[in-house]
Amino acid sequence: MLEPIVVTLEELNLITLVPMCIAIFGALLIICIDLVKERLDKSFYLMITLLFLAVDFVAVLASAGLFEQVGSVRGFFDVMFIDGLAILGQLIIVGASMLFIPLALTSKRFHEYNYPEYFGMFLFMVGGFQFMVATDNLILIFVGLETASLALYTLIALHNRDKSFEAAIKYFTMGALGAALFSFGAMLLYAVSGSIEIAHIAAVVKADEYANIEILLVGVVMLLAALGLKVSLVPFHTWLPDVYEGSSAALAGYMSIVPKIAAFVVAMRLFEFLIHSGVVWLEVILYAVVVLTMTAANLWALVQSDVKRMLAYSSISHAGFVMAAILIATTQANSALFIYWILFSFTNLGAFTMLWVSRQKDLLPGQSSDHPYDKFSGMIRTMPVAAVVMGLFMLSLAGMPPFAMFWGKLYMISAAVNAEYVILALIMAINSAIAAYYYLKLIVYMFMKEPHYEGMQQYYMTNSSGALKTIIGFAAFATVFIFLALNPIMEFVTALVQKSGF
Amino acid sequence: MFEYILSILIFFPALAAILGLALNKDSIKAYGIVVSAIEFLLALMLWYAYDAGVTGMQFVESVAIVEAFGVHYLVGVDGISLFIIILAAFFTLIGIASLPEMKNIKNLIITLLFMQMTMVGVFAALDVILFYIFWELSLVPMLYIIGAWGGPRRVYASVKFFLYTFAGSMFLLVGILYMGYAYHDATGIWSFSLLDWYESATLPFNVQLWLFGAFFLGFAVKVPMFPFHTWLPYAHGEAPTIGSVILAAILLKMGTYAFVRFSLPLFPDASYYFMVPIAIISIIMIVYTAMVAYAQKDVKQVVAYSSISHMGVIILGTFALNVEGISGAVFLMIAHGVVSGALFLLVGVIYERRHTKLMSEFGGLATVMPYYATIFGVFMLASVGMPLTINFVGEFLCLLGFYEQSHTLTLLAGLAIIVGAIYMLAAFKKLFFGEVTNEKNRNLPDVTKTELVALLPLVVITIWLGVYPKPVLGPIDNSVKPLVQMMHDRAITPEAQAAIASPLVPKEAR
Repeated sequence: MLEPIVVTLEELNLITLVPMCIAIFGALLIICIDLVKERLDKSFYLMITLLFLAVDFVAVLASAGLFEQVGSVRGFFDVMFIDGLAILGQLIIVGASMLFIPLALTSKRFHEYNYPEYFGMFLFMVGGFQFMVATDNLILIFVGLETASLALYTLIALHNRDKSFEAAIKYFTMGALGAALFSFGAMLLYAVSGSIEIAHIAAVVKADEYANIEILLVGVVMLLAALGLKVSLVPFHTWLPDVYEGSSAALAGYMSIVPKIAAFVVAMRLFEFLIHSGVVWLEVILYAVVVLTMTAANLWALVQSDVKRMLAYSSISHAGFVMAAILIATTQANSALFIYWILFSFTNLGAFTMLWVSRQKDLLPGQSSDHPYDKFSGMIRTMPVAAVVMGLFMLSLAGMPPFAMFWGKLYMISAAVNAEYVILALIMAINSAIAAYYYLKLIVYMFMKEPHYEGMQQYYMTNSSGALKTIIGFAAFATVFIFLALNPIMEFVTALVQKSGF
Repeated sequence: MFEYILSILIFFPALAAILGLALNKDSIKAYGIVVSAIEFLLALMLWYAYDAGVTGMQFVESVAIVEAFGVHYLVGVDGISLFIIILAAFFTLIGIASLPEMKNIKNLIITLLFMQMTMVGVFAALDVILFYIFWELSLVPMLYIIGAWGGPRRVYASVKFFLYTFAGSMFLLVGILYMGYAYHDATGIWSFSLLDWYESATLPFNVQLWLFGAFFLGFAVKVPMFPFHTWLPYAHGEAPTIGSVILAAILLKMGTYAFVRFSLPLFPDASYYFMVPIAIISIIMIVYTAMVAYAQKDVKQVVAYSSISHMGVIILGTFALNVEGISGAVFLMIAHGVVSGALFLLVGVIYERRHTKLMSEFGGLATVMPYYATIFGVFMLASVGMPLTINFVGEFLCLLGFYEQSHTLTLLAGLAIIVGAIYMLAAFKKLFFGEVTNEKNRNLPDVTKTELVALLPLVVITIWLGVYPKPVLGPIDNSVKPLVQMMHDRAITPEAQAAIASPLVPKEAR
């Protein structure tokens, strides 16, 4: 006979659910509006989405204020867990969503934006990712992850290119594998500790003095593989270039930022206590994955002939770079992860938007992909401003000072050095030097070659609109001048991470 | 009234470059000349306002950029950096003034103005991260200049230039961050200010060795030191005249300047430890590149390899670790800037006329272009270190300085310099003496007025500072003395302390 559970409303602490509920409510509202009145323009749904995201963002900021006062909060039967990581993760997720969704305002028509469901699903996805970071309950993480991923698969498939279906199916298959691995890993952790809350697991495992280390290790490796599939760590990255190529540049840019930060937050929660456990194997596995991801992805990126695929491999490499923070696991490293990702999102926003505006209806003659390097050759002649701006984003991605990514790289390598991971710091540095080559390749094409195609202008800006130009301008401005705002960002992030005990 | 002159010097060209984007391309050259002339006047005002009697940094400005991480906008000059800044302003001016008609000249001039910002910034920065920012940023304009206006293999040359230096810099970055960490460890404060680092306790010997190595990799590629020099002949070979001039006159000096500013005072014991190996590398540089220069068929390559050879002398003087050697090295940086810059301009003059740089195509030019031959002769003699020219002062002091550390090595280096004279004289002979064998050369016009405007001031400087170097050497000397004193004080091993003589103690008393 089960005992009746008495829960008061205060104990439920429903305030922890508010930000996600805003997103979900927005999604439902969009679908309801569609039932009442058909054929509204995409700009209407877009603005509704933006409004809800803005309110969502403010709600997360409000919970940051609450966190400053009272510290971590649990809610809703203690499954919700709002600490600094949850707040930072949500801020990046919602913020990046706000930056990327206006990319729907293209001058060309794309049929996916004609479905109001696109925007509804987008909001569901944001809500899912928010759940994923705002809990340390493995089941809720799983639910959030799957909600978001299912929405994302559909969004990819809505793009009207043959390769989009392939991409969606590929991502779906890999995602299913990831889900299986995640649930199996979580089950093993449950078997070891009898709990599905990461904090409990940590406490129990520690109290047992890592008695069942074999099972624990198998579980952790499975979780690492599952998260690795989301973050795209080598060797779980194989889906990523194809999926990026198949999805629209707008969505590919989004995928390079948001799903990954959500997975990083989960990885941070999960591996933090394991890294500090002193079990050498874990460190070795993570170390190997980090170095392999950085290096291998860089080498693959060198030989790509398509800019979007190059950016895909580059984003794998960046993910490996950031994963190093989880290996280092100091407060500075964990703060560096968030700072890096904030800076990365601005630069990648710019780079992918530049690709998005150049999305033409048909492939260029003799080319098999949308954005071959050749397409950009001699751009300084035909479109000087666009060439300079694109060059700026490439330099930033290469870590050229004083642009945005340099500061992220600086802080990350500094974190490695401060934790006495000097070899790792050197590997990171060497990888940055390798990476410079493929970013430079695009610059070489743009600035040093003769135009390859006649009438490049009409090809190039074919998809641009005032809104997209504004976004590019904003991204360029942020990429160049963000160092002026770096101090408050750094203090804010560090304070939140430190207060959460990471 | 001069408090902000350094910031104005750094950012004025950048601002002018941004405004220049809106300019009509017919008047861009005049705009470039006016802007760089103003910049040069500002640099001269800096010299005027600079108080040679005061030791230490002047015109220091400090603004926090990332307070939490100790990164500041911190600039200042002393006698070591002052003249290189003036040189940078000067060469941008005459470089732009002597530009021939070329395609996309607007992009080129805007790039040059951006380049000027980074050059002045490197030499004025006293915060190490700020230094690194300008150091790296200076690669981008040069990449574009070589890659867009260069010869047939320009893309390869520019990418090689970029990647070599960028890869070296990554080690430098890790070294800088480790220094920052060590400083934080010792004091509990984040700071990347060089002035703070000078004040902090010297690092333990083995840490110094590693950090010296990391900094060395970054700087040696830039100098370029043997065996990291292979990018330079390509870069010079493919670069347009203006690119070679700026590269030889200013960009290479960044490396040697950084050795003086960072490696020596921060790691005095490691500097002493590596003195002999580096001296040997320098002598290899001097001899080997002189020999390679002799074998070149292309006159521009001769000048390029002679550059590397002279940089070897500068490194040798720097690692003499005494006032004579370091002052000589700093002076030779300026001297070499003037002379090699002039030589590249001169090579550009005949390239403009014939579109070839092969020496076999020429011969007997002295009869066709007498003024040109005279001016070339002056710089050729300066380049081989003829007394009463600017190079002689620097080379002499470098060797004098190193003589106190090692007689044998100095003797070798001295001989090598004499051997080095051969290739310059041989090149001069092939170009100018004998009969005019190639019909195409018979009617070559002599130097034009524009070219004279660019070259004559350089002739004047070469001879003036060769005869009377004191106005430049005095302030340099005044700033090098405290530097050597600081090295002496900061050294922790007794051998290094003994070898780095304190300039306050007279020589007889040692």
